[in-house]
Amino acid sequence: MLRASAVCEAAGYPTSSLTCEGFLRQAAATSVGLGMPNIPVALVPGHIGNKSEDELRRDILEVTAQKVIENLTLAPAAQAGQAEPAPRDIVVRGGFGEVNRYFYAHEFSDGLPIVPPTREAIGAFLAFTERDSDESLGVLLPDRRAATVWSIAVNGVMAGCRPEYMPVLVALIEAMCDPEYGVEHSGNTPGGDTLIILNGPLIKELGFNYTQGALRDGFLPNTSIGRFWRLYLRNVAGFLPHKTDKATYGNTWRVVLAENEDVLARIGWEPTSVEMGFAAGDNTVTIARYTGGGSLSSVSGSTPEQMLPYLADSVQKFNNWQITFTTSHGNGTLRPLVVVSPIIAETIAKAGWKKSDVKKYLYEHARIPAWEFERQLHEWNIRGVWDLKDDVTAGRIPKAFYESDDPNRMVPIVWEPGDFMIAVAGDPLRNNAYVFAHNGFLGYPVGKKIQLPKDWQRLLAGRQ
Amino acid sequence: MSRQTNDGYYEAHWPRSERQQRARPLAPRLASLQGKTVAQLWDQLFKGDVVFELLEEALKARFPDVKFVSWREFGSTHGGEEKAALAALPGRFRELGVDAVISGMAC
Repeated sequence: MLRASAVCEAAGYPTSSLTCEGFLRQAAATSVGLGMPNIPVALVPGHIGNKSEDELRRDILEVTAQKVIENLTLAPAAQAGQAEPAPRDIVVRGGFGEVNRYFYAHEFSDGLPIVPPTREAIGAFLAFTERDSDESLGVLLPDRRAATVWSIAVNGVMAGCRPEYMPVLVALIEAMCDPEYGVEHSGNTPGGDTLIILNGPLIKELGFNYTQGALRDGFLPNTSIGRFWRLYLRNVAGFLPHKTDKATYGNTWRVVLAENEDVLARIGWEPTSVEMGFAAGDNTVTIARYTGGGSLSSVSGSTPEQMLPYLADSVQKFNNWQITFTTSHGNGTLRPLVVVSPIIAETIAKAGWKKSDVKKYLYEHARIPAWEFERQLHEWNIRGVWDLKDDVTAGRIPKAFYESDDPNRMVPIVWEPGDFMIAVAGDPLRNNAYVFAHNGFLGYPVGKKIQLPKDWQRLLAGRQ
Repeated sequence: MSRQTNDGYYEAHWPRSERQQRARPLAPRLASLQGKTVAQLWDQLFKGDVVFELLEEALKARFPDVKFVSWREFGSTHGGEEKAALAALPGRFRELGVDAVISGMAC
């Protein structure tokens, strides 16, 4: 909303931004990144979603309306900018404890101890990239800071990464800067967290876990790179809890999911990297943001027909309110992810099924009655001016969502089979799976190729 | 008992980077809303339709000649097409004779 207001102000139109009470601090912080720290907001007391009609009427007429008038007719006081260090400044000198106290006090850390980013440690990371350390890979909202190679190294050191992870970190920030991903939405209230999927020979070269305990901390590359992502969101993008990060409920960062490419090759299924448009054997990262999901225990059966109903049912149930991204509001950007253990993938593939067959099955069976789809968004959620018939009639979403007036007709939860993503990882001999509920355009899947330095093998040998 | 610690000594660099956005001026404010045209921008979430009706009522009571351009004219300002929607706003405002904007909802 503030982004819209900033566009209007820049074009010469005075604005008033309607802001619920709990979002005033976010608005104040976000306005600095927009270059308009004094952009005016009009308070809406409390939260609008839980007011009676009378309460809402009273608050808007007695509080908000007066602020709107003031916003549009009185020039807001100018706000002085806050002085900051230069990009390569040393900000604290001292012992490990002192450095950590300083970083925590200045909101640079996540609460766990960080590795002090010294010149020597940063230099070791920079040795693993051929990019200039001053190069900016993009500009990140809400703080609108430059995503420099230097800052990637600094935050990589802090997260406890090893220097040889640097090519992965650079690729991740390239992905974070990609407009299709939508990093600016990373502080939205459902509190989604990014999952990083890794593909390619680097999985083994750098020692990622991709078998039992996938998604569990305890493996240095998986864990520290996941932490790096969160630190970079904090320090460079600028997402801080109680300010710009408005997660109602968050999670600790997600550790990296590395695919089991041995199994994928054996059963003839393409890895996620190939589905994202890269060549088989490329080292890649794929990112997307998920607001929920959960595990499926014991996907039993010896044929796809026996196993997939359970998967389809769970995909539909775990992607609950997220179907808002399937409507015109989300422009069909819902991309649910299903991670299956190797034994599940192998059993399905044994029947001759490809990934595309599984996706088609999910598209046809992970469905809900139209009345339930509409009730979820129209009555329970936040989209009171919407329904499926309008969206289809206006040509904004596929016809599959309104093929009749029967409220019991079954409608899909995505626009097309290819919207489902499937990855293979986890305990090779346990028939469990994990469904991720996707956050649509607020964290759309983006993949990037990892560029290794020319003397990668020598550098890596030097580290080992 | 030794009082020596092994906390080490570090010179730690700033983990942030330079902001790329310099401060920009706001648009000039209006002398009054009387006779002015106010556009409503909505992300189509959080009862904005109800809020705009109430604001119209309140503002018309104070400024009888104020006019409004409904949020329906502009589509959602938040969603999969946000960037294109925002880029189109100044042109639409010129066409519609807009003088000021109310934008919601941050909730």
